[in-house]
Amino acid sequence: MNTLSQLTQTLEGWIRWLRLRRAVTWFARGLAAALGLSLLAGGLGLYQSKLLKAEFLTLILVCALTLPPLFAFAAYVWRIHPLRAARYFDRVFHLEERVSTALELQSENHAVEIIQRQLDDAVSASRQIRPRRDLPLRFPKLDLALALFFTLLLGALWFRGETLFAAASRQRTVEEAIAAEQTKIEEIIKEINTSESLTAEQKEALAKPLEDALKELKDNPTMEGAVSTLVGTSEKLKALDSQQAAQIQQALTQTGSSLAAQEESPLEAVGKDLAKGNFAGAASELANMDLSQMTPEQLQKLAEQLESMANSLAATNPQLAGQLMDAAQAIRSGDMAAAQQAMSSAASQMVQAGQQVTAAQMATQAAGQLQQGAGQIVAAGGGQTPSQGGAMAQGQSQQSGQSNGGSGSGSGSGSAPQSNQAGSEASSSPIEQNNGAGDGGESAYQQIYAPSLLGGAGGDMLGVPTSGGDGEVIGTSPTTAEDGESLVPYTEVYSQYNQFNRQALENGEVPVQFMDVVREYFSSLQP
Amino acid sequence: MTLSTEKFVEYANRVETEVGRVIVGQGEVVRHVLVSILAGGHVLLEGVPGLGKTMLIRTLGQALDLKFSRIQFTPDLMPADIVGTEILSDEGGKREFRFRHGPLFANLVLADEINRATPKTQSALLEAMQEASVTVAQKTYQLEQPFFVMATQNPLEMEGTYPLPEAQLDRFFFKVNVDLPNVGEMVEILDRTTGKETPAANKAVTGADIVEMRALTRTVPIASHVKEYIAKLMLATHPEDENASPLVKKFVRYGVSPRGGQALVLGSKVTALMAGRYNVAFEDVHAVAKAVLRHRLLLNFDGLAEGVKADDVIEELVNSMQNAK
Repeated sequence: MNTLSQLTQTLEGWIRWLRLRRAVTWFARGLAAALGLSLLAGGLGLYQSKLLKAEFLTLILVCALTLPPLFAFAAYVWRIHPLRAARYFDRVFHLEERVSTALELQSENHAVEIIQRQLDDAVSASRQIRPRRDLPLRFPKLDLALALFFTLLLGALWFRGETLFAAASRQRTVEEAIAAEQTKIEEIIKEINTSESLTAEQKEALAKPLEDALKELKDNPTMEGAVSTLVGTSEKLKALDSQQAAQIQQALTQTGSSLAAQEESPLEAVGKDLAKGNFAGAASELANMDLSQMTPEQLQKLAEQLESMANSLAATNPQLAGQLMDAAQAIRSGDMAAAQQAMSSAASQMVQAGQQVTAAQMATQAAGQLQQGAGQIVAAGGGQTPSQGGAMAQGQSQQSGQSNGGSGSGSGSGSAPQSNQAGSEASSSPIEQNNGAGDGGESAYQQIYAPSLLGGAGGDMLGVPTSGGDGEVIGTSPTTAEDGESLVPYTEVYSQYNQFNRQALENGEVPVQFMDVVREYFSSLQP
Repeated sequence: MTLSTEKFVEYANRVETEVGRVIVGQGEVVRHVLVSILAGGHVLLEGVPGLGKTMLIRTLGQALDLKFSRIQFTPDLMPADIVGTEILSDEGGKREFRFRHGPLFANLVLADEINRATPKTQSALLEAMQEASVTVAQKTYQLEQPFFVMATQNPLEMEGTYPLPEAQLDRFFFKVNVDLPNVGEMVEILDRTTGKETPAANKAVTGADIVEMRALTRTVPIASHVKEYIAKLMLATHPEDENASPLVKKFVRYGVSPRGGQALVLGSKVTALMAGRYNVAFEDVHAVAKAVLRHRLLLNFDGLAEGVKADDVIEELVNSMQNAK
């Protein structure tokens, strides 16, 4: 007499075989799914220029190595109900519902003779079954054909998609450059916010455009958008750098230099600080000057120098000049208290002037860095480094779509003095990357750095005082100096030239690879 | 249980063999009639004249060793002619009504050309077929078991006939179509029936054996999913059912009643036992599906007008129900 356990034992063996068969089937399906998924994700990634070749390969390998075993494992461990399995085996082994009926009847606990006979019949019939023979392992042909098809498509994409991979590579470089710019902007904002030389209003005025730029870079992280944002922000920052601040700085520096040159002058320390650009220090020296300890001669000298300072600064900073003049007059009239008061007021004005200058310098510096960053992004995108500024930048800022060339093919109208070719296609490199047929050949060219501003407005004129126009003779002005000595003090000349040097560096007018050299050179000239 | 499956198969084979001694070919017809008898149902055989329908029933009567009676249905046949009637008897000066049994009082009744009798007479069979009893003069008489009605009808000569109403058709367990024999069978028929000796069937089983076989049939188990399949198949014969096949939806007016489902289950059980199995398989259901369903499917006007065969509808339906297993 056969027992139910014999039948269930046989059934369990069949179920194990069925699990294995399912695993094989689903392995093939997993392979097809993996390749299909790779194709879909890879194609999408390449279409959006976001997938590098190595990443594409990694995607395929990861999918192909993980999904099929995962599918097979899931198929193997997937729960199989014994009764359902029995019905399935009845069908595929042509057992005419013997096994499923036997299982069902046993679970219902019938105590009828025919039930036992039915069980015997089911066990007897099940013994004739050889699962390996009657239900052989087979790879599903359709899934394998699908996997082969996907493999061919992936292969075609791999070998024929160089253009797409190159575009993705460029896009990645641009994204990294944009990310670097974001970091840089964040650092600038941090520097501005932590600066003690700026007022809260100045900090806000400087940080606001930078924060806006940061947001725009996050919202629109494309090359065109990033360049446009950086250039636009640079222009806004430049607008903060008023001409008046530069003049104030120049006047204060010049005045300081002349004061520093006069030995045993009461204002020598103030002059030195001013010459160095340390306006806060100069203000402090001025405010802390103790008039009561000075001799009448010294006071007289001080009054003269204050008047001289007032005259020098009258054009650029009349308020400061007025305070200095009041102090001088108070000294002359012997009202030391009023003189001390006027000097304190003048110091306060000097501090404000220093803050204004510092803000302008920071704005200029930030603008220069943004301009430089825009150029780096364009270069990362496969375009030319910023050249022929007006054309390029104007084109970018107008979103004219002339993006990848990055070489001023837009209809810009740069106003930089050194960029007279503004708006002309010929203003950029000799052979444009985006040129069509017949534009004069497509041979590779070497990028030549042409110093200019990226912004369409161009840069400020580098007004080197001693630079003359065409045909003018420089340095032949009347001089009283003897033995080859300069008429102008070295410190004053250095200060002015160093200022122009710094401005040029900040405006991105010096190639990146030469910036350190230029800085070192001017450092070596420092008195 | 006194009867084993082996015995059941042996008896069935013996009957088929004995019938086969007389009837040439028609194996499926014989099988279906036997299945119907073992399931306790009545059979309607339809076929043109001369195919051996009457011969088959008569031979079965011989092989089964049952009391056999034949009623030739005619338009003037009255219910009393088949059921019986009370007659006035005069024995010893004592007059009384005595019931004289009609031909219905037999184990195996051949209702030949049943569609030639009037509906009144046809209806007289209803009680006998359903209840195995007849009522005459307010008195009910039980018919002896086993009781089977084997009716025949001719599908061609419809003039002057009274087609069986649906209610009466539903009483028949199977409707078996009798087709023309092939050449080989025809030659064999000619040999057997025109020779010196006419073959006859021997007694194969008794009425008591038939009763036992019927009892065994009822014990055959059937798995729940097979029962569900039968139920779905029954419901799918109705055009409004979601599983109904296109032909059913197009040509069927009304589907099969639950009585049809009962017939399908019982017929499947007998088929399973005759195959030597103790459980019902889908194959058993398919084997009897046409015989059970063909007279229970009511075709609509389009179906009748286009000459759609119920067998085609059933075949398409069964094929479309493969997923329901």
